[in-house]
Amino acid sequence: MKRRSLALRFVALFYVAVLVGAPLVLVFQRAFSPGLDSVWHSLTASDTASAIRLTLVVAAITLPLNVIFGVGASLLIVRHPSKFSRLLDTLIDVPLAISPIIIGLALELAYASNGVFGRALAHLGWQIIFSWPGIVLASAAVSLPLVSREMVPLLREIGDSQEQTAATLGAKPARIFFTITLRSVAWAAAYGATLTLARIIGEYGAVLIVSGNITNKTQTLTLDIASNFENFATQQGFAGAALLAMISIGVLIVLSLAKQRERKNYEYHD
Amino acid sequence: MSITIEKVSKSFGRDEVLRSLSLEIPTGSFTALLGPSGSGKSTLLRLIAGLTKVDSGRIWLNGVDVTDVPVRERQIGFCFQNYAPFRHLTVEKNIAYGLKVQRRGRREIASKVEELLSLVQLSDFATRYPHQLSGGQAQRMALARALAIEPRVLLLDEPFAALDAQVRGEVRTWVRKLQHDLGITTILVTHDQQEAMEVADKLVLLNKGTIEQVGPPSQMYDEPATDFVRSFLGPLTTFDGVSIRPHELELVPESASSGQVVTITDVVRLGFEVRVVVDDGADGFTWVQLTHDEALLGNYAPGQRVRLRIRRESHA
Amino acid sequence: MGWLGSSLLVTYMSLVILIPVIALVGHAFTGGLPAFWDAITQTEALDAIRLTVLVAFATAFINAIAGTAIAWVLVHDRFIGKSLLNSIIDLPFALPTVVAGITLVTLYGPYSPVHINVANSWVGIMVALLFVTLPFNVRAVQPVLESMDFSAEEAASTLGSRPLRTFIYVTLPTLVPSILSGMGLAFARAIGEFGSVVFISGNEPFHTEVASSYIFALSQDGELNSAAAVSVFLLVFALVVLGVFGFLSRRISQRIQ
Repeated sequence: MKRRSLALRFVALFYVAVLVGAPLVLVFQRAFSPGLDSVWHSLTASDTASAIRLTLVVAAITLPLNVIFGVGASLLIVRHPSKFSRLLDTLIDVPLAISPIIIGLALELAYASNGVFGRALAHLGWQIIFSWPGIVLASAAVSLPLVSREMVPLLREIGDSQEQTAATLGAKPARIFFTITLRSVAWAAAYGATLTLARIIGEYGAVLIVSGNITNKTQTLTLDIASNFENFATQQGFAGAALLAMISIGVLIVLSLAKQRERKNYEYHD
Repeated sequence: MSITIEKVSKSFGRDEVLRSLSLEIPTGSFTALLGPSGSGKSTLLRLIAGLTKVDSGRIWLNGVDVTDVPVRERQIGFCFQNYAPFRHLTVEKNIAYGLKVQRRGRREIASKVEELLSLVQLSDFATRYPHQLSGGQAQRMALARALAIEPRVLLLDEPFAALDAQVRGEVRTWVRKLQHDLGITTILVTHDQQEAMEVADKLVLLNKGTIEQVGPPSQMYDEPATDFVRSFLGPLTTFDGVSIRPHELELVPESASSGQVVTITDVVRLGFEVRVVVDDGADGFTWVQLTHDEALLGNYAPGQRVRLRIRRESHA
Repeated sequence: MGWLGSSLLVTYMSLVILIPVIALVGHAFTGGLPAFWDAITQTEALDAIRLTVLVAFATAFINAIAGTAIAWVLVHDRFIGKSLLNSIIDLPFALPTVVAGITLVTLYGPYSPVHINVANSWVGIMVALLFVTLPFNVRAVQPVLESMDFSAEEAASTLGSRPLRTFIYVTLPTLVPSILSGMGLAFARAIGEFGSVVFISGNEPFHTEVASSYIFALSQDGELNSAAAVSVFLLVFALVVLGVFGFLSRRISQRIQ
């Protein structure tokens, strides 16, 4: 028993080390081996700096939109069942089952200037595809369900008795929403928002299609990393990759903290 | 604060939960809405609170029609079965919630909260969070929170159901005393007839959305209006083809002149109460409730043959 | 929540997902069924789909075994660094696919520092898919193992059953539903994966080109209708597989109870 379980531990560690650990080490090794100066130069080179800027702008627009959408959709699905909410409930998880490439393609077909919807928008002078609004749409689509997936089960679990109690105590709906509902799901929403942010920053396939991948204009950081890598600017590519890897590690830390806080608020002491 | 319910009906989809129900609850009374699950008792409580809207009928509080008054303006204290603590707020902030809604001054809120904390014996727990409380403490907090707004009526939905059997008895007695001291009109919903008889001074027995009987506990136990009331309020057994309370039967020696000869099949001792199960040759489960002393005197054991008859004193 | 709020929510979701998916399906069938059929039966399309499905199945299978073993170690074993192992399992969820892609090809490609070269082959594709789907397999099984009632296992061991027998006949059957649902999620993800695969696969048509890569190539060549047709096929296929795995998992868990 002892020896067998030791062997299993070794196999598990080896598998994870080869598959996940080694790549993680390699990213940092490749990025930092030429020294911090070189990393700094890589990240401030005009194409990468512009890509970082675009990624931040896209995240700054998409994250609040998707968090508001996720919170609203979860409340609608759990607390106000209707035809609307059932439609939302069925469609909201669709992006998780679709390849990001297909999401990108679908957006291009709908919003390109010769597309179904895009023609009308082009008349108004709005370019969606091969421009930043397309990137925002793609980021929003791939990360659409991430907030509601965290919130819906929690809202179902806690029920509406806290809100009803607040109503008996004289509180108006807006007050109940801000002082009770929002506060009781804050950690789940934060968890979902962190996942959303990670996905927006890290998205590649969907953004690749809708952005047109134009250096210094429509390249996000992931696209910039890929094109640097393909054009033998490996060093610069790995500097960007290391930045993203650090963000991922930060995200994992935030997620585990949020999960602990969320769990803490449950169950009585006895 | 009196409550008048006039021909109230409520359905959920096709499910008719309350049917043209009328009820009068006098000021200062402690009323228990009793009934099996699905009898509509919790729905009736939610209708009084305004958490659910009536389909038809009217509800009056102290002579004022409140049927169309929203929950937040009814000034009602409501405690949920799960206590519904605001999990992100400390005990004192839970209690202060309703006072803050009323925009009371900070000093007033502080002194009122302090007073309530000591009333529910939670003064040492003011800065704890709900997850740091026991079930009984969380329930007392919920009561204090409801009392803070000086409600005109206190509504309790299955308040003891989530407590341990041991704590439950204590808390019942405490709630009974609290209600008596404050004199606040209180309605409690429960499915446990013993609990209802123990705390309330008035019982309302509901079945399938209508009222079976209303009255003081002792009267309803002794003079049940229907078979349903009789069977719901206490144990029943069958003897000679009729249903009867098991304490209304007695066992006498086989040599006695009257009674039916039966065989004892089991003797269960429950402290003061002893249950003797007998086989009277007929279908149905027949048992007799004896006191500890009676059982000791008879020295009953399975296999023994005795006579079973209706007690003399209950003939009268 | 007012009518206005709900309409805003539905509008947002329509703009982001509903309208694009409708446009996709519309384009897939622009030339009618024959054109759709033609697009998905091109040799290049068939090769890409076959490769994707086979490698995705192999991936789901291998990670089902590895993931279950890792979950078992995480739940039952005790050693220093276990919590690090536990946290690193989620890394593929959080790490951008492009970072995984360039790293895996650098580590296990032609210039490998450890002299392992699996680039431009189906093995390379599988390594990438094993990486991105590992958390699905581990996290599907782990909570079930944690909450499992060990009295059954203990009863078996007091009856003299050896540990491996205990695992195969007592523990494994109760784990099967969660293993299957983990495989379903991993498979659906693997079928659509792009970023982590394209760098190591080499994208050679008929040989190492996966379906999503083929769709991308078509879209770059302006063959949008064909791209849409293959997309719709892949989408339906993924949903069916997800459904089948979910169905099997529910069926088996009902039988166990």
